[in-house]
Amino acid sequence: MSPARRALPLVGLVGLAAILVARPLPSGAQPPPGATVTPGALQTAPATPEDPQVAQGRYLAVVGDCEGCHDRPGGTPYAGGLPLRTPFGTIYSANLTQDRETGIGAWTADDFWNAMHKGVRRDGAKLYPAFPYPYFTHITRAESDALYAYFRTIAPVSYRPPANKLPFPLNLRFMVGFWNALYFKVDDHPSTGPSPGRHIVEGLGHCGACHTPKTFLGGDKNDHALEGGQLDNWAAPAINSDVRRGLGSWSSAEIAEYLKTGRNARANASASMADVVRYSTSLMNDADLAAIGDDLRGRPSHAGPVNTSLKPDPKLMARGEAIYVDECATCHAVDGKAQPGLFPPLPGAGVTQSTDPTTVIRFILSGTQTVATNARPTPFAMPSFGWKLTDDEVAAVATYVRNSWGNVAPAVGPSEVGKLRGKVGKPIQKPSARV
Amino acid sequence: MSPFPVDRRTLLGAGALAFAVPLTGAAAQFRGDGVFWSPNTSSYPTAVDLKANYQFFTSDEAAFVEAAALRMIPADPTGPSALEAGVPLFLDRQLAGDYGKGTRLYMRGPFGKGTDTQGYQAKWPPAGFHRAAIKAIGDHLGQGGGAPFHKRAEADQDAFLKDLSGGKVDLGSDVDGKAYFKLLLQNVMEGYFSDPIYGGNRNLAAWKMIGFSGARYDQRPYVLAYNKPYPLPPVGIGGRPAWTAKG
Repeated sequence: MSPARRALPLVGLVGLAAILVARPLPSGAQPPPGATVTPGALQTAPATPEDPQVAQGRYLAVVGDCEGCHDRPGGTPYAGGLPLRTPFGTIYSANLTQDRETGIGAWTADDFWNAMHKGVRRDGAKLYPAFPYPYFTHITRAESDALYAYFRTIAPVSYRPPANKLPFPLNLRFMVGFWNALYFKVDDHPSTGPSPGRHIVEGLGHCGACHTPKTFLGGDKNDHALEGGQLDNWAAPAINSDVRRGLGSWSSAEIAEYLKTGRNARANASASMADVVRYSTSLMNDADLAAIGDDLRGRPSHAGPVNTSLKPDPKLMARGEAIYVDECATCHAVDGKAQPGLFPPLPGAGVTQSTDPTTVIRFILSGTQTVATNARPTPFAMPSFGWKLTDDEVAAVATYVRNSWGNVAPAVGPSEVGKLRGKVGKPIQKPSARV
Repeated sequence: MSPFPVDRRTLLGAGALAFAVPLTGAAAQFRGDGVFWSPNTSSYPTAVDLKANYQFFTSDEAAFVEAAALRMIPADPTGPSALEAGVPLFLDRQLAGDYGKGTRLYMRGPFGKGTDTQGYQAKWPPAGFHRAAIKAIGDHLGQGGGAPFHKRAEADQDAFLKDLSGGKVDLGSDVDGKAYFKLLLQNVMEGYFSDPIYGGNRNLAAWKMIGFSGARYDQRPYVLAYNKPYPLPPVGIGGRPAWTAKG
């Protein structure tokens, strides 16, 4: 933003907002320069009554979080180009606008269905499963056609995303055929019933893309569905009925509240989940969110019971407690109960007790910011402690929060912290002689 | 041409309209999506390396400051001396940095004597004032072959500092001796009670002495615990020994 725009008096901002209110944007159009348009604003208030099929497709695009991947920072929504960092290389999301050369303007409804249902591009080449067709195969033809009708309304943008960065032989698309044989089954009888929640979770919502653990080839471990996965140096927590690590202690209403507002009395959405809430779940209707809650709460866990007899080294815990009381208790309080709805409580939290401590460590090292939604417009942030806490100290305090107030989880070692710091953090800035 | 593509008339008209229309739609536009945040970002202080040499003081200046600080805060049963607490190192880094350079002071003349309530009036920023005053004190004490301050007996040093504080030492037309004593005492106290990350208050000794709990932000569990000792030891920005204690 230019200094001139930054210096605009408040009346100017209010004025621009008024212009936006007075003249709703046609779908796919760009906001006037300088205006702040929240995600989702483009999905609302069409100028004329909308074709019901297009309206349904617009909503389904929200459910599928299409914009979450098919938009890049500074780009046009649905023009693609977002780099998706997979363990196998970087894949850039496709242009879904109606441009005939670089987008999907030349695609037919059948072409679109084949991509969603079978993971096959218009030219017959196989799509990489970074595009979650193993989930989208569960949508119905009517849903696919509605999405297609909606995408037909997206103004063409000529933009060709960068070439994927995949090593040989993964750069050969036919290799995906072998992967499909192992991990992909076309759903021959997609149906919206009997459980609407499951239809979303396993279909368009593609929750398992992050929350289901993966094989070394990146396929879902379906016998451990929704038990928590790792990607891009985050650990997505379990979202099943596991009481410690999952959502077993949440009510369906609490799950729906979290998805709608980005927060509830137990947790705040941040990191990768912030984008999911921003582009998708905060814009979904309450009935669908409640259905998702019902489905997740019913999902079994096969992770096995937590060994509650494992007690971390008392000296490590004492150091962790000292750091916790001095640094973390400011917001999370000495008893860990924090300020529910503002700062998330730690006792009983799934992220805190996740078997994989990556996210806990990363929050401490790098900090994090909660998502802003219409219901909860203020994005709280946790500061970064990586500059002042050594790997040893991060490990001690992470172990402490994972094993206090009734929490139980494996202790964290300094080498785990050091590895993550090397990938996503910054070096310590600690004074040579501290106290 | 205006750098902004909306002219003033449109802007004011739209502003008036904003108050006329229901604000529900506009409220959504003020969501905090753009609030700046990025990972691994902190506004942290530059920590002083306690083993490094002076950056600002010459050896003569360091000798004076060390001796004077030691007379201002000698060791006693309640706490360590200014020297043990690292006050001269704090002062050195303070004067080498933005404070010493007076980056936040208005430093163009005219420079008058000022009154007691008018605050800092020297024509130099604090670093320059220390430098000029220490030189003037050296010249003053060296008249007729007198010993420098740091080589004098404690009683002699105390008498000189007392005279300086009372405005009884003439350091020439440039340097106001009384004002310098005030600045030096102020800086010595800052070093003694500052966070240890800045080089003074070593081992958190000054905070232990006065029972200050340090860089803590949430005292709610203790506010209503009347007649009970406060349980937490002081902590600095950089931590405290219990963070690293292995035993």
